[in-house]
Amino acid sequence: MKLRITTPIPTLLFTLFALLLQLSCVHSQHTSNWAVLVSTSRFWFNYRHLANVLSMYRTVKRLGIPDSQIILMLADDVACNPRNVFPASVFNNADRGLDLYGDNIEVDYRGYEVTVENFIRLLTDRVEPDTPRSKRLLTDDRSNIFVYMTGHGGNEFLKFQDAEEISAFDIADAFEQMWEKKRYHQMLFMIDTCQANTMYSKFYSPNILATGSSKLDQSSYSHHADNDVGVAVIDRYTYYNLEFLENNVKNASSKHTMKDLFDSYDTKKIHSDPGVRTDLFHRNLDEVLITDFFGNVQNVETDGVGEDEKWKVDVSELARLAANITSPKKQQKEIKVEELKGKAEKKISAFKVEEKASWTQGVVGATALVACALAWFGGSFMPK
Amino acid sequence: MRLLHLLSAVLLFPSALTSFVAAADTPESVQLDNDYDESLLLKTLPGNSVLASFRFVSNGTFNDHHHTVFPRSLAQILEHSNARELHLKFSLGRWDAEQWGAQIWDGHTGGGTGVELWAWVEADDDAAADKRWTTLTNALSGLFCASLNFIDSTRTIRPVLSFQPEGHHANPDRLHLLHGGLPREPVCTENLTPFLKLLPCKGRAGISSLLDGHRLFDAQWQTMSIDVKPVCNSDGSQCRLQVVQTVDMVLDVERSLQRRDSPVPKPRPLDQLNCDPTRSYGSGDNCFPQSNLADLPWSLSEIFGRPLHGSCPLGTTDVCVVAPADRQVFASQASAEIKTGDKRCYTLPQKSDFDLLLPRQSPPLPIEVTPPPLYASRSFTGHGQERGGVQAVIRNPSPTETVKMIYLESLPWFMKPYLHTLKTTIPNSLVDLYYRPNLDRQRGAHLEAALEIPPNSTLTLTYDFDKSVLRYTEYPPDANRGFDIAPAVITTDKGYQIRTTSLLLNLPTPDFSMPYNTIILSSTVMALAFGSVFNLLVRRLVGAEEVPLRGQKLRGLVAKIKRLGEGKRKAE
Repeated sequence: MKLRITTPIPTLLFTLFALLLQLSCVHSQHTSNWAVLVSTSRFWFNYRHLANVLSMYRTVKRLGIPDSQIILMLADDVACNPRNVFPASVFNNADRGLDLYGDNIEVDYRGYEVTVENFIRLLTDRVEPDTPRSKRLLTDDRSNIFVYMTGHGGNEFLKFQDAEEISAFDIADAFEQMWEKKRYHQMLFMIDTCQANTMYSKFYSPNILATGSSKLDQSSYSHHADNDVGVAVIDRYTYYNLEFLENNVKNASSKHTMKDLFDSYDTKKIHSDPGVRTDLFHRNLDEVLITDFFGNVQNVETDGVGEDEKWKVDVSELARLAANITSPKKQQKEIKVEELKGKAEKKISAFKVEEKASWTQGVVGATALVACALAWFGGSFMPK
Repeated sequence: MRLLHLLSAVLLFPSALTSFVAAADTPESVQLDNDYDESLLLKTLPGNSVLASFRFVSNGTFNDHHHTVFPRSLAQILEHSNARELHLKFSLGRWDAEQWGAQIWDGHTGGGTGVELWAWVEADDDAAADKRWTTLTNALSGLFCASLNFIDSTRTIRPVLSFQPEGHHANPDRLHLLHGGLPREPVCTENLTPFLKLLPCKGRAGISSLLDGHRLFDAQWQTMSIDVKPVCNSDGSQCRLQVVQTVDMVLDVERSLQRRDSPVPKPRPLDQLNCDPTRSYGSGDNCFPQSNLADLPWSLSEIFGRPLHGSCPLGTTDVCVVAPADRQVFASQASAEIKTGDKRCYTLPQKSDFDLLLPRQSPPLPIEVTPPPLYASRSFTGHGQERGGVQAVIRNPSPTETVKMIYLESLPWFMKPYLHTLKTTIPNSLVDLYYRPNLDRQRGAHLEAALEIPPNSTLTLTYDFDKSVLRYTEYPPDANRGFDIAPAVITTDKGYQIRTTSLLLNLPTPDFSMPYNTIILSSTVMALAFGSVFNLLVRRLVGAEEVPLRGQKLRGLVAKIKRLGEGKRKAE
């Protein structure tokens, strides 16, 4: 009797302990990394905004996030712009050491597609049914997302395409919807625009770490211009972020933390007061690796016990897959919904314009004229 | 990781096996080409230009789940959208027919400026075809990083005469031809990247290793095209899907060589300029530069900025040069030359770099240029923001032959043509006319005219149109730039195709600060009205004589005090 009561208690305790352990680890667990990089400015003189975004694109790609998990939005084409002296190249430094456009780039939203509506649709995944995968943010509750935005902005708004604005409330609500739909695990929001810190002031969803280039009533400045390109090539805040990332985060196994990055911000160099918002983010910044957001998850396989077992599992899994592959015909028959194989109905077509002077037309015309004349005469002879 | 490796091995092995089997058991029925072929044709053009035409042909099966060299991503899109034949073109620049003559491949690889797409979609009726067309454009926009999803019903037409299917189709009655274009679409590296990824050698080996966005988008004219069609052998027993990818470009040799020396084009110093001494004002410090008096030397690696990395091991590769027979051509070692007329072809080494060198030729050798069957240009006429006109000038240079052609125009919905104003300068030249009028915000006008141009004459086709006024939100962010009108497509009866340049239409553009002005103005009017009414209601109006004069009270007070004082004195 006594035994029957006591046995469940240690097991219960053990499970509780295990649960607690899991809970304590839960913060550092993510299984995929995504990046949403947005340049909202149109026109050639906003070259630096594209360069900002492309610099971030190169950085996240360097640290291992594949193109399929990067959503790149460029509101204008500067690389192949006729004004560009260097066709198909974008530089973020006057030394022109690195071509950001390079040989391999995938722009997911470009030109007129970069709108407030599309941006919010992308975040909340409320897209048209035909939208291809490359234009969707296919994240889940285990995905860390890095959102980087740059453009021209003001107090609690950011301009898109010089024609419309997104407000701080819009972004905050979109993020809340993402949280409700379990579309992210943790998020880093970084913005480089005038009065940028106002843009994250309205956030209210958990697990968002936010940083911006300048506080309320402060402009965000460009770093330097390239005389051959003819315009400024990068903004200060992004420049010093990149400098830190290039010099310190050499590869995806870097142990630098977000605190190191934020501590590197120097108001004297940036010419504005960069801000960091941590109240929604319940982790110590010195425990958060930069690669949690800028790099991709590294899946490491360890050699050890049960290796042979795993191998057998792999083989049986492959055999199952192979069986499916080698008998595709059976599957095809199930999927294919055959249509009526009759002749297609084609009603929409341009019509043939013809001018035919046939005698029937003449007769009809003449008859109509005569009838009118008769009616008129008849009317004038009518007694009053 | 290991699982992935094993999986890929298992997946790759059967495909390798099937290709091997296919090659082994059907040796005689293969009039169908190899699985994969690539060729590069280089042609010297007048004015120190070089035409480089890359052509990649892959053949594959459509409904099979094994894809050897046929790009799987494209096959899936075609299968999903029921597109049986597809033509997609990305183009930039203008083909200078006056100088360069007829276009290569009869103009079939060249598209209109920006992006042009047409496809034969299998469907039961028009609505189903439209739906599949939307699926197709959306999927392609994801694959090629272009805004092809903007090809909606207002930009889609169904041409009647201009395009004919090129492939062998099982049931042509069920095919719907749909055509759309985006003349404003930029073409850049992000379009080239997926293009190269479709190739079996992915730009790592073979002629595709020469393709570099930095040179391609520096060209005077360039076009990338993807044509997919089913091809069958003569008895129709064996059908395969063929994808032909081409990149054609005209490179300016002088410009390319300058890029090598300094990345920024800078004017040459005076002593290196080639001055024309016959000009009277060309003396001393002045210089009238004259085009180069020699054919500049160039090599493949110089004009493309990178070497050709051997041949692609998955198929046959050859490189041909078309140049005057007297011009010397040196090829790198380990390559054999086959000469036919003014065409010299080379087989490439397997694993080493290949280069071609054409040395300087002074004086330049005359280059024979085949004239095109037609020259065409199109422009706007008229003035003002309300209406305008279009004028297309088409010239037949042939001294003996009449040219029959089809002129196709696809106009945006906000351009409303008047059919009765359609005129041609040559009488009886208009043979046939197909027309579909526009509907506001639903579809654009579609005009297709079959014309005949007698030898050695010029035909001018004109029509007038009205400009619509758009709604405030329908304007793009850069409305003041104007609206691009897709190029007209001209197809001759012999299958040669040319496209005019795109046009820039200016529509009446509102002042976009207008709503704010309106708000401010109406607020002012409201404030004025409210203020005056409020004044009238609240203020008490008093007649002038009723109001006590200023200082009257003070004087009254003084008088009172005086009276008081007098009273006191009296009392004393």
